[in-house]
Amino acid sequence: MPTDTLNSLGEIAATNTWGAIYPEMILGCLALLLLALEVILPKFAHGAIPRIAILGQVLLLGYIVIFDVSGGSSRVAFGGMVELSATTQALRIFFLLASIFVSYLAMVSFENKSLARIEYFAITLVVTGALSIMAMSNHFVMLFVALETATVGFYVLVSYFRQNPLSLEAGLKYLIMGALSSAILLFGIVLLYGAASNPALAGSSLDSMNFQNLRVFLEANPTDTLAIIGMLLVISGVAFKIGAFPFQIWIPDVYQGAPVPTTAFLAVSSKAAGFAVLLTLVKTFAPLSNVLIPVLSGIAALTILFGNFAALTQRNLKRVIGLSGVSHAGFLLIGVIAAQSVPEATNWVLFYLFAYLLGSMAVFAVFAHLPKAWDSDLDLDDLGDLAKRNGFLGIALAIGIGSLAGIPPLAGFIGKFLIFVAAFKAELFTLLGVGIVGVVVSIYYYFGVIKAAFFEVWRFTDENEESGTPSALPGATLTALGKLTIVVAIAGSVVLGFFQGPLGSWLSGQ
Amino acid sequence: MTVGLEQYIAVSAALFAIGFFGVLRRKNTLVIYMCLELMLNACNLGLIAFSRYHGGMSGSVFVFFTITVAAAEVAVGLAIIVALFRKRQTVQVPALNALKN
Repeated sequence: MPTDTLNSLGEIAATNTWGAIYPEMILGCLALLLLALEVILPKFAHGAIPRIAILGQVLLLGYIVIFDVSGGSSRVAFGGMVELSATTQALRIFFLLASIFVSYLAMVSFENKSLARIEYFAITLVVTGALSIMAMSNHFVMLFVALETATVGFYVLVSYFRQNPLSLEAGLKYLIMGALSSAILLFGIVLLYGAASNPALAGSSLDSMNFQNLRVFLEANPTDTLAIIGMLLVISGVAFKIGAFPFQIWIPDVYQGAPVPTTAFLAVSSKAAGFAVLLTLVKTFAPLSNVLIPVLSGIAALTILFGNFAALTQRNLKRVIGLSGVSHAGFLLIGVIAAQSVPEATNWVLFYLFAYLLGSMAVFAVFAHLPKAWDSDLDLDDLGDLAKRNGFLGIALAIGIGSLAGIPPLAGFIGKFLIFVAAFKAELFTLLGVGIVGVVVSIYYYFGVIKAAFFEVWRFTDENEESGTPSALPGATLTALGKLTIVVAIAGSVVLGFFQGPLGSWLSGQ
Repeated sequence: MTVGLEQYIAVSAALFAIGFFGVLRRKNTLVIYMCLELMLNACNLGLIAFSRYHGGMSGSVFVFFTITVAAAEVAVGLAIIVALFRKRQTVQVPALNALKN
């Protein structure tokens, strides 16, 4: 055995700094703890397990925010498998926050349903850890494994209501679409690997799936056909995950059929992870940007237009929010493209994601509190007169939807504003125009939701009384914890809209 | 004729294309699922061929990960298909259209 090999193995082993991924390891251990508790605790104490899950995540989030908010210096670990930076640390906080909201939504949605519950929380924790690692990945093997861990978890979460055929059908559709996109992504990786490992070409490397090595190769061979095809396939695979045109076909069906917490999880965390990967990949593929940027620009414009116009005719609440999420993906894509020439736009994309998280979670929390046997059937009529019947939920819905629509002075407005500034600075005037058209169109359907909640008389009282099922009031299951969660989401939307003070230096990219 | 890298990659690409169009065209969920597996295996063949002809082991190692991932996907996927069949008594795609505009 040559000593060189042993030495290099030793060097790689020395970079296995487990401390670098302590939040993900804690999440994994917490997931195992939940499963163990289900066996150990007596049946009547099972109600405490979701609370333990939420408590554990809140403690972890608190620790990171208080002691480790910047994430230390940028560094690679595990032999170049993961790269940590301030961006990945912000995303880590993002995923944890989203996962706390999702766990709470799951607690609400699973009330009065005979289902196995604990697994949902355990899988949520594992998926959150996987998404966080996906955002840090610096190597195609790491990226693929993290992505698949998250995706396989999502298959289960989407079809979790297995007594509801709609949930199962959504699960099947997500399964086929998710597996198809993974296969396309994988084939792209294969072609990139094949191109960049060819010893006959300059800049080739034995470890060509590492993003830095790949970039070195692409700089030396910016016209390699195999690499360009590979890149386009990889970008297509990621576009499936973020729901960008023309890979958005699964979004409305899956969002409608999935349980509310899963829809929120897919809309927020899965999309954010896709964008984290896209930000890394756009940097890696920078030598090919004469092909990549026009493709991404076209996708961004079509995504914004499709998302907004398709949402106009929808009546199902989760389809409306899903298609509006497609248009948000388009806005975020503008930010990603602008980040090529305006470095601080990366942070603006993150700000947009946080604003989107807070707005979406407020809206989904309201959906979770609407009385309905299966939440896939929620439509605009179910909001009827919500503001009169439960003012608190009405306000939460108005602020959440307002923030998603980008009404000043809420956080969503600042997010869109920053994206437009980025597009202006990067001189993407066509995309800027498309974005503004998109915002104008989106006001119509967002206002439709508000109108249903505030100005329409609730029509179904008599019908329900005739059939002998007294209809529950919306928010009848609202607990103190629930109020706190919703207040955090709407307060975040309002405060971030008025006051970005502490984030100022971060937003300006220093 | 000697079989070289090009032939392996051509077979890999052909398998991938067969799988891809199978997913788009077939109506039976199980057949679609087999086509998805075919696509993953086409990728495996490509990885092994590149790894063998270009030197370096990362492609070969990656194959272990893809196989594991594919197994996990099958385990979850078949469970979903069986659960759906119990509810709807069919796995034909045209019949599964409850979610629509």
